[in-house]
Amino acid sequence: MFKTNSRFAVVYIWFLAFFSGCRVFPATDHPPGYLVAGIESQPLNLDPRFATDANSVRVGGLIYNSLLRAGANGQLGMELAEHWGMTDEWTYVFELRRDVKFHDGRPLTARDVRHTYESILDPRNRSPKRALLKPLEAVEVLTPHRVRFRLSAPHAPFVEQFTLGIVPANTTNGPSSSRPPPAGSGPFIFASSDPGEKVVLKANPSYWDGAPKVAGLVFKIVPDAMVRVLEFKHGSIDFLQNDIEPDMLPWLRNTTAASVDTRQGTTFQYIGINLSHPILRHRNVRQAIAHAIDRAQIIRHLLKDLGTPASGLLSPINWAYEGAVDSWPHDPERAKRLLDEAGFADPDGDGPRPRFELSFKTTNIDLRRRIAEAFKEQLKAVGIELEIRGYEWGTFYSDVKKGNFHLFSLAWVGVMDPDVYFQIFHSRSIPPHGDNRGRYANPALDRLLERGRRAVDTDERRAIYGEVQKIVARELPYIPLWWVKNVTVQQPALRGFVPYPDGDLISLKNVSFSSSPGGRPPS
Amino acid sequence: MKRYLLRRIALLLPTLLGASTLVFFLIHAVPGDPVEVMLGETAGAADKEELRRSLGLDRPLHTQYRNFLAGLLAGDLGLSLYERSSVAELIRARLPATFELALCALLLATSLSFPLAFLAAARRGAWQDRGALLFSLLGLSMPNFWLGPLLMILFSIQLGWLPVSGRAGPAHLILPAITLGLGMAAILTRILRASLLRVRHEDYVQAARAKGLSETSVWLKHMLRNALLPVITVMSLQFGSLLAGAVITETIFSWPGIGRLTVQAIQTRDYPLVQGCVLTIALSYIFVNFVADIFYRLADPRITYDD
Repeated sequence: MFKTNSRFAVVYIWFLAFFSGCRVFPATDHPPGYLVAGIESQPLNLDPRFATDANSVRVGGLIYNSLLRAGANGQLGMELAEHWGMTDEWTYVFELRRDVKFHDGRPLTARDVRHTYESILDPRNRSPKRALLKPLEAVEVLTPHRVRFRLSAPHAPFVEQFTLGIVPANTTNGPSSSRPPPAGSGPFIFASSDPGEKVVLKANPSYWDGAPKVAGLVFKIVPDAMVRVLEFKHGSIDFLQNDIEPDMLPWLRNTTAASVDTRQGTTFQYIGINLSHPILRHRNVRQAIAHAIDRAQIIRHLLKDLGTPASGLLSPINWAYEGAVDSWPHDPERAKRLLDEAGFADPDGDGPRPRFELSFKTTNIDLRRRIAEAFKEQLKAVGIELEIRGYEWGTFYSDVKKGNFHLFSLAWVGVMDPDVYFQIFHSRSIPPHGDNRGRYANPALDRLLERGRRAVDTDERRAIYGEVQKIVARELPYIPLWWVKNVTVQQPALRGFVPYPDGDLISLKNVSFSSSPGGRPPS
Repeated sequence: MKRYLLRRIALLLPTLLGASTLVFFLIHAVPGDPVEVMLGETAGAADKEELRRSLGLDRPLHTQYRNFLAGLLAGDLGLSLYERSSVAELIRARLPATFELALCALLLATSLSFPLAFLAAARRGAWQDRGALLFSLLGLSMPNFWLGPLLMILFSIQLGWLPVSGRAGPAHLILPAITLGLGMAAILTRILRASLLRVRHEDYVQAARAKGLSETSVWLKHMLRNALLPVITVMSLQFGSLLAGAVITETIFSWPGIGRLTVQAIQTRDYPLVQGCVLTIALSYIFVNFVADIFYRLADPRITYDD
């Protein structure tokens, strides 16, 4: 039909050849010897004074050291502190290690510690962590390596605030993601960040606790869960922690040589209840819902065993965990009896009419929707009609904060100190003053939570929070669902990673590529 | 043409103003509080109020709108609430990725659809025509969220030829460009084929043949030129939507473009960033439509824009 138009043909063939990809090899998107970890979203601010999103906290945890740090057993241990103790119930004194240097070569001293805490307290800096430091009255530099924290009153949970990353004293204040984060003293040094693509850290060769074994880390941002797993299978990602769809795990186990590790985590999934609702304010109704839900089935079939049935907020690895609390095994017959006792008899026995209707709010994430469908079926079996309403996160969270719900499901992540009960169940913690979104009020519990804050003796606190857990398990202002297990997927060539219950990635500094035949070449 | 240009530029301002006004009030009407997202669970009520005040979010909506307009007129899109960096900078950082992907998808779609449409029109009813229509049907039927992972599994996992996702070199561009370009190629094939068939028996085509012109000249110089107008319209609309950000494809392929930035801004209720993104998208559409108008004129010199 056409005579050859040579110019057109050359351009066209070149173009098709380019797009055919016949011999276009993947470009290496990381420098040699670097470990590539897949993460879901961009860390928004790595400066530890402003970091609140999970990825900023975890990536930042590799750049910065703190006075104390939770270990692989979930208990706080010393990091920058060589010794520490309390001189009285409201004064903490820390003796700092003398061999610690920031990435810019300057030694880390007590002045830097004071600056970090004072800059968070400075209202001009608008740090989201300012409220956490409210009990702090003063930070005093005693010697270059000794620092004293004075509180305005005894406040046992304050010890958790010693896990804040320390930045140098000359750091510019104010949150901005457009500047590089301040220098840290951790095992990795911030190298670069390509928004929406990756964050690159390089190894700190003079790290006081030994240089990392890899040349650096690339945190590759892959928003789609399935694509993260495909990247892993392809070999372009070496390491994934959490953010893995449970459905993908069997496939990964069957089709790759990946090392998959699942361990007890601290993330607590629950059903939140609006206690001002005329039906839900009946304890029997809440107990009936708890009996109607078959956690074991959901964990087995939808979570693929990535969870453990929960009895309360604190997981068994928490020092204050109390196991002897009321439990709510799957028992539909008991649930029906409790509903009858509460005055909500089934109007037509096994007929289609429900005892009452409730709405259940959740996010529109696929797994959450499927879990909600399971709840709907299980509650239907005891005569409760559940209307599922799925929302985009911002709308969902706004409704939860406002108390605009009957039932919803969310998770508490990184639960460490039992004082979290104050934030969630004390009657003074009703939004906007806290996270008592269900409007629960129990004077006896309030008194216990206030005592728990003041007590500094660990045994005394353990006893107080044991009682708190018993009350909450009996009253059910939340219906506990499960503790989410931490899942780590690594290429078989990786050695040395130890998962932490709170998801801390600090042990990446000990990771290396094995030199066995199956090991990854360093490029 | 000069008057036309001036008129288009004059229309630019009310268009942008309309788009930004609509988005400003819509995003403020959506439930959700940016301060809650920024400060997280741990912040106290006083801190939240203080931040709300310092960001100007405590002021009445009409005051916020006036401030936004004043900033806009001064060429300042403001600071991202969440990232505390310039909205213009954030958008500028993402635009090259979006432009790169949109352009490659357009080139791929054009290079596939034009030969296919020519072949189909020249061999109407034959297997080549049926093949082209089948390709078109398939291209239109395959959603990106399905085609993208399918291409990944085939070319990256099974064959190992291409990277799975990301943006680190030309090879990373191939799969997202195919995912976006195939659908576009399918539409263009159908439109161009129909358009070519429409002009095929026009008198001027017969006259060109009677003058003894080669078939290539008849098809390329006479038929294609006259068949191009609807194709330019569709191409401009498609290209405009690509510049606006192909959210699904960008998410699947971890492509750091404007679409993902817009979604992130909406999710975090980052009002200035949402407004900046929407303005950029509106500008893209205006620009593409403007270029399309120029192409109309090139394709058909009889078209005039001056009154």
